[in-house]
Amino acid sequence: MTKLKLILSVLVFAIFSTSFSTAVLAATSDSITVYSTRKEHLIKPLFDAFTSNTGIEVKYLTGNGGALIERIKLEGKRTKADMFITVDAGNLWYAASQNLFQQVKSEIINNNIPDHLRDPEGFWTGLSVRARTIIYSTERVDPSELSTYQDLADKKWKGRLCLRTSKKVYTKSLVASLIYHDGQKTTTDVVKGWVDNLAATPNAEDNHVMSAILAGQCDVGIVNTYYFGRLQAEKPNVALKLFWANQGSTGTHVNISGAGVTKHSSNKENSIKLLEFLSSIEAQKIYVELNKEYPASQKLKADNLIAQWGDFNQDKMNLSVAGKNQADAVALMQREGYR
Amino acid sequence: MSIKQNNSNILMGFLAFSVAFPIIVVCSAWLLPGTELWGHFSENLLPELISSTLILLLGVGIGVSVLGTVLAYLVVMVEFPGRKWLEWALFLPFAIPAYVLAFVYLGVFDYSGYAQVWLRELTGVSGFDIRSGHWAIILTFVLVFYPYVYMMARASFKRQKIQMIEAGKMLGASPISVFWKISVPLARPAIAAGLLVTLMETLADFGVVSLFNYPTFTTAIYSAWGDFRSIEVAAQLASLLVLVAFLLIYFEKKARGKAKYYSSDVSNIKPYHANGLIGWLLFVFVFGVFMLSFALPMLQIIIWSFEKFTQEWNPRYLDYLSSTGILTISATVLTVFVATLLALPSRRKSNSKVLQILIRFSTLGYALPGSVMAVGLLYGVQNISLVSIYFGGSSINHILFGSVALLLFAYVSRFMAIAFNSTIASSEQIKPIFEQSARLLGASRFRLVKEVYLPMMTPGILAGALLVSVDVMKELPATYLLRPFGWDTLAIRVYELSAEGLYERAAIPALIMVFLGAVIMLLFNKLDRDNK
Repeated sequence: MTKLKLILSVLVFAIFSTSFSTAVLAATSDSITVYSTRKEHLIKPLFDAFTSNTGIEVKYLTGNGGALIERIKLEGKRTKADMFITVDAGNLWYAASQNLFQQVKSEIINNNIPDHLRDPEGFWTGLSVRARTIIYSTERVDPSELSTYQDLADKKWKGRLCLRTSKKVYTKSLVASLIYHDGQKTTTDVVKGWVDNLAATPNAEDNHVMSAILAGQCDVGIVNTYYFGRLQAEKPNVALKLFWANQGSTGTHVNISGAGVTKHSSNKENSIKLLEFLSSIEAQKIYVELNKEYPASQKLKADNLIAQWGDFNQDKMNLSVAGKNQADAVALMQREGYR
Repeated sequence: MSIKQNNSNILMGFLAFSVAFPIIVVCSAWLLPGTELWGHFSENLLPELISSTLILLLGVGIGVSVLGTVLAYLVVMVEFPGRKWLEWALFLPFAIPAYVLAFVYLGVFDYSGYAQVWLRELTGVSGFDIRSGHWAIILTFVLVFYPYVYMMARASFKRQKIQMIEAGKMLGASPISVFWKISVPLARPAIAAGLLVTLMETLADFGVVSLFNYPTFTTAIYSAWGDFRSIEVAAQLASLLVLVAFLLIYFEKKARGKAKYYSSDVSNIKPYHANGLIGWLLFVFVFGVFMLSFALPMLQIIIWSFEKFTQEWNPRYLDYLSSTGILTISATVLTVFVATLLALPSRRKSNSKVLQILIRFSTLGYALPGSVMAVGLLYGVQNISLVSIYFGGSSINHILFGSVALLLFAYVSRFMAIAFNSTIASSEQIKPIFEQSARLLGASRFRLVKEVYLPMMTPGILAGALLVSVDVMKELPATYLLRPFGWDTLAIRVYELSAEGLYERAAIPALIMVFLGAVIMLLFNKLDRDNK
């Protein structure tokens, strides 16, 4: 029985001490709290830099997009979240449509970040750009064969194409942008063509798409460039190359990671300061260094590795459209059996 | 029935209801209006999902039953080289989270994995896509989950009366027919219990199926939620999983019939000795399973850990360790405590049908994807808040959301099945005679429980505690959503890195988890031996 008592008292102590410690933490007034779907190792360095500049402390909680949005919704007026950081324009658009954000009007942000990467009404702003484009085997593909995303549906790619799963937001937003440019009918044909051309079950990760091309399972794929950047940083001579898709037409599809200040933020002033900091050159540099993404700021040049991939024209479609079209895109892909 | 008994029935009912609370909230989604999403799903997704889910369940079910039972029989009944250490080594795969094993297997056996590259270079055969079709994912699940059946079946074989087997032998039955005609029928409840847990966990899995991109029912749940932003349809779909789990439990009970399986003899004598070639063949088989399910994946994880150690290791790991430790210990104690109360033998016979069903219902959380159940819990708290506000009180959301208490609640609900299955299995083996004689001697109910039931249920309680603690440590989705600030666990670290495709770095927290799991397993093994 004494053993049991010991265990029980440890348990009670654990529960009380932790509820207590969260209460104390919440009491510090200047600090701000961020809910983020961007993973810890990609946001902590940014917050550390902000804290050392301003003295304002940043607490954060990482989680999955859908689940965190539900949590903020249910926490309502008493939410601890001052800011919500997430990847993919669709998620930002959805959070805004659920009334989780408040409008921020900041000259600093407007100067730093171009229009098409921001919400037209100022509810959220993009902070880094991820280009999603074609990648190919330098051993088996002549770049003159390549042109557009749509072209990958052509019969000549039969058994040569690898794609990432349709469940991933990056695929969803890409197809959403195709629907915006070409309409439902043409996009249906494109997706059907992709599925027919697949050499393997769609992969869970962009990394796996690249490994599959390297191993010879397929010759081309579509990936976010930073995955290739990471691979190239490890293996500079890897037999893969990026091809900028749709340069003759709509431009290469880009997505963003971004953030908004929550509607019920208890510290709006400092939250805007953080948002402004994240759009600054100093923070944008960290974004690029940490994850080989493109800066959202127009004022910063890409870093060496990224710069060697060359300049490209971005698709200038406002990214809130990708959010609006996402459900249609998923329904379309599910109809065509794109897993 | 005395008033005391009645009161305790009410208390147990309340306890079971609390455990079932998040499940009830999820099922109550049917009260919300349906949407057109159902049309799209039933036309384009569900036919394929349902058939592939059934194939998966069938394959995994047969696989774990056969493998788990055969392995358990071999280590208990047959003496062969290496048996002693393999007997406990076969538990170890249980310490590896399923999704970790899946990404290791894919890294090795997929088209670009070195096993296939090597095979192609050696033989010149063309490569294949192991993620298409069913067999590779079924095999993965079997290798991760066979320890459930193995563990239960092993315990049951150990309890079988040695005389029966001896009698079978004397009558000239071969080891194989003793296996089929005596051992397996006697162990059926145990095998069924292990199978049940496996099937529920397979149903709820999201990690492995998304790595393989294999369409199961959880795909539709996450699609409804993530793609179409309909938490209602997601909950409606999830409640169907609860229904399936309920049916599985029903069939398990039905299959068992009214038979009672009391047994008590424990023996360390091995009835069979496999010498020479047969002994070594058995060793190769059992050792092979151990290599495939544990040693080789671990080797890969260790290699990755060494490669990335300097890049990944940091002082935050002390926090991950302490959060993991505190949550695991607290959740295990709570879950097992509640499960023991619900499984006490005197309750079983006297309590009403309604209570029995409610208790069974409270164990269904294991078949729900963790994140769906976690959101169910948040909505449940929200509803209580709304009621409280209606009566002039205040919302409790801000107190409970992000508290350790709520997270522990989620663990208890989610892992009740595991704890309850173990405790009820040991409780069912207590002969009614004990209660009768205790009553005759005038012992109080408290003394009966403390001095008779608890000691006899100890093996089951310990087994439950072991399984729950390893499961809590591995748990991801509910922890990810409900944890308080700064309470990142090792499982979360594994997920955050692997979600970014950084598998090599994810190997480090995974390795620590497996190490902790193995320590728990060894501890259990020691307790198991001391009990004899």
